[in-house]
Amino acid sequence: MPKLVSVTLALGLLAGTAAAQADETVRFWYHFDNADNPMSELVAKFEAENPGIKIEAENIPWNSYYDNLYTSIVAGNAPDAAMVKMFAQPRLVEMGALEPIGDRIDAWEGKADLQDNLLNLAQASDGNSYYLPVQYVVLYLYYRQDMFEELGLEVPKTCDDFRDAAIKLTRDTDGDGQTDVYGFGFRGGKGGHDHWGSLVLSRSGVDFSKDSLGSDAGVAGSQWVVDLFQKDKVFPPSAPNDGFKEVTGAFKAGKTAMTIHHIGSSNGMVEALGDAVSAAPVPECGGGHWTAFGDESTAIFSSAQNKDAAWKWISFLSSEGNNKEFNMATGQLPVTKSDSENWTLHEKRFVDATVGSLPFANLLPNTPETSDFVNTVWPVNMQRALTGEITAEQMNAEINKLYNP
Amino acid sequence: MLTMNEPMGRAALAKKVLPYALLSPAVLVTLAIVFFPMIQAAWMSLHDYILWKPKDFTFVGLKNFATALGDEVFWISLKHTVIWIALTIPAQLLLGLATALLLNQEFPWRPLARALVIIPWALPSVVIALMWVWIYDANYGILNEFMLRLGLIKASVPWLADPDTALYAIILTLTWQGFPFFAVMILAGLQSIPKSYYEAASLDGASTLRQFWHITLPGISGVLITAVLLRTIWVANSIDVIFVMTGGGPGYATYTLPLYAFIKARTNLDFGYGSSLAVLFTLMLLGLVVVYLRRAGRGID
Repeated sequence: MPKLVSVTLALGLLAGTAAAQADETVRFWYHFDNADNPMSELVAKFEAENPGIKIEAENIPWNSYYDNLYTSIVAGNAPDAAMVKMFAQPRLVEMGALEPIGDRIDAWEGKADLQDNLLNLAQASDGNSYYLPVQYVVLYLYYRQDMFEELGLEVPKTCDDFRDAAIKLTRDTDGDGQTDVYGFGFRGGKGGHDHWGSLVLSRSGVDFSKDSLGSDAGVAGSQWVVDLFQKDKVFPPSAPNDGFKEVTGAFKAGKTAMTIHHIGSSNGMVEALGDAVSAAPVPECGGGHWTAFGDESTAIFSSAQNKDAAWKWISFLSSEGNNKEFNMATGQLPVTKSDSENWTLHEKRFVDATVGSLPFANLLPNTPETSDFVNTVWPVNMQRALTGEITAEQMNAEINKLYNP
Repeated sequence: MLTMNEPMGRAALAKKVLPYALLSPAVLVTLAIVFFPMIQAAWMSLHDYILWKPKDFTFVGLKNFATALGDEVFWISLKHTVIWIALTIPAQLLLGLATALLLNQEFPWRPLARALVIIPWALPSVVIALMWVWIYDANYGILNEFMLRLGLIKASVPWLADPDTALYAIILTLTWQGFPFFAVMILAGLQSIPKSYYEAASLDGASTLRQFWHITLPGISGVLITAVLLRTIWVANSIDVIFVMTGGGPGYATYTLPLYAFIKARTNLDFGYGSSLAVLFTLMLLGLVVVYLRRAGRGID
């Protein structure tokens, strides 16, 4: 049966890309938000250094990146190597789709140049190494320095400060009776679990283990988020559906005074707001601190024809100089020590906020359920809770049910 | 077959086989890309099949269907699907009918107007969806701006983020997208009605309304029924606009059955359950399809 499935999937999906594979071709999938795409330059440089290897790099839209990846693997049409995140790793391992690269990494001269701990973070729960880190970010709080100064506010250190500040920052600035600025741009759509995580998973004793989210502290956390929207009205009314574009757009347009994102958006923010935008680690909530570690690695698939060539290519991307160029395009941070020194792409205050957030940066649980949590369970239940269709308790119960059936 | 040796028989056979031979490429392609996946989906719906557990393909009989009937989201989606069809089709039909009647009048620039009216139908769904997302935007959207200035609302309404309005907002978008189809079909129907009928009717003193009722409507009834059937099937299945505009959110507020099946299969990678949802919905639509096929068949005869 899987064979039958593969046939139709192959028919439906990207049938064209399977054709015409020369012996020394590496098919590589990646996703860049950035329109000005440096991949062609890196490819040209690599091909010049490695005659006989041809790189077919394909930019896959982020929204359907993993849908395409999983289906292509089942269809027997997977790329040879791809950019991958940790949350996808358990599933890819379960599918037997990944090639262990631990030995290759150990033998690789670039290993010593990788930032400490990144390889450990990328290690799979079965003890193997499948991922080679290529960039990273940490989520922190963006805030409008000018608005804080105007109102005489301090940058919030705790969730209580955060709520006070958000309430004060939510204002009608032109006196027409309508709110013009909201305290916090909350991401209620897909990807917003990082916001929720900082405000809820930070609380002491709250995590994804059995009945933890259903505890008083867990429910109080989600309830607190819902109240910010329903009672305090410090999120824009569109918050339940807002995704990355809406949240950063509203912040740049001055419709929100705070939001949470990573350094990847800092240059765009500075372009729009100049010195008025600054950054700090997310507030401490309920006795703990939690922010999301945004990982990105490359991996080789077990189905790859030319694993040596694929390894050459992915290790090329994580090497000094190339990694810098790669991250200049994605706007994230390089994984090599040499490129991290004298890193000038981002303004210092954002790099400081990132580094300051590292001690409490976390990944979501390294289990197959996390994909469903990210893609459907969190967004659907958060949206239903925000719009009052279910309670915060029911929302947490649904998440608990996913992880602890 | 038996008469193969005789020259006459061979000619007769060739005559018999030729139509099938000519049809077979189309039939084979249809079998491969329509019927085969359909049967495959039905087959998958009887199994536990989660894409990231490719080794686990267990026959479970009707379990997925039983799960669906006990699934809250299934019923929410079904309710939305009914609302979705029941509002979109009549709205498109009425708007299309009005447009067709207007375009059937003599007025300057009529060919241009006829060409322009097709634009919503000609645009890709994704473009339409993105365009309307901006129209509905709570911060910058022109709809809120317009209604605020007219004093119809006091504060911006987050049309797509409010579960009470989201589905209806998308229905309005789809109505806008689909009415030209009706307009064009009905216009073609209108032009097939001989002018002499109207002349005769007006000589007999029939009012415009009576002419519409007794000549126009019967004249286009065939077109209307076919268009409504076809469009119902399309609208029922269409998920592209919903997917781009809200992705089903907020919560389940804009889930329809095909979208739910799509999300289950494509996002959650649960192909077994997703297929069973799709099969259930197909069975529900089958009644309509049968009516349509009967009409189409009659047309050929």
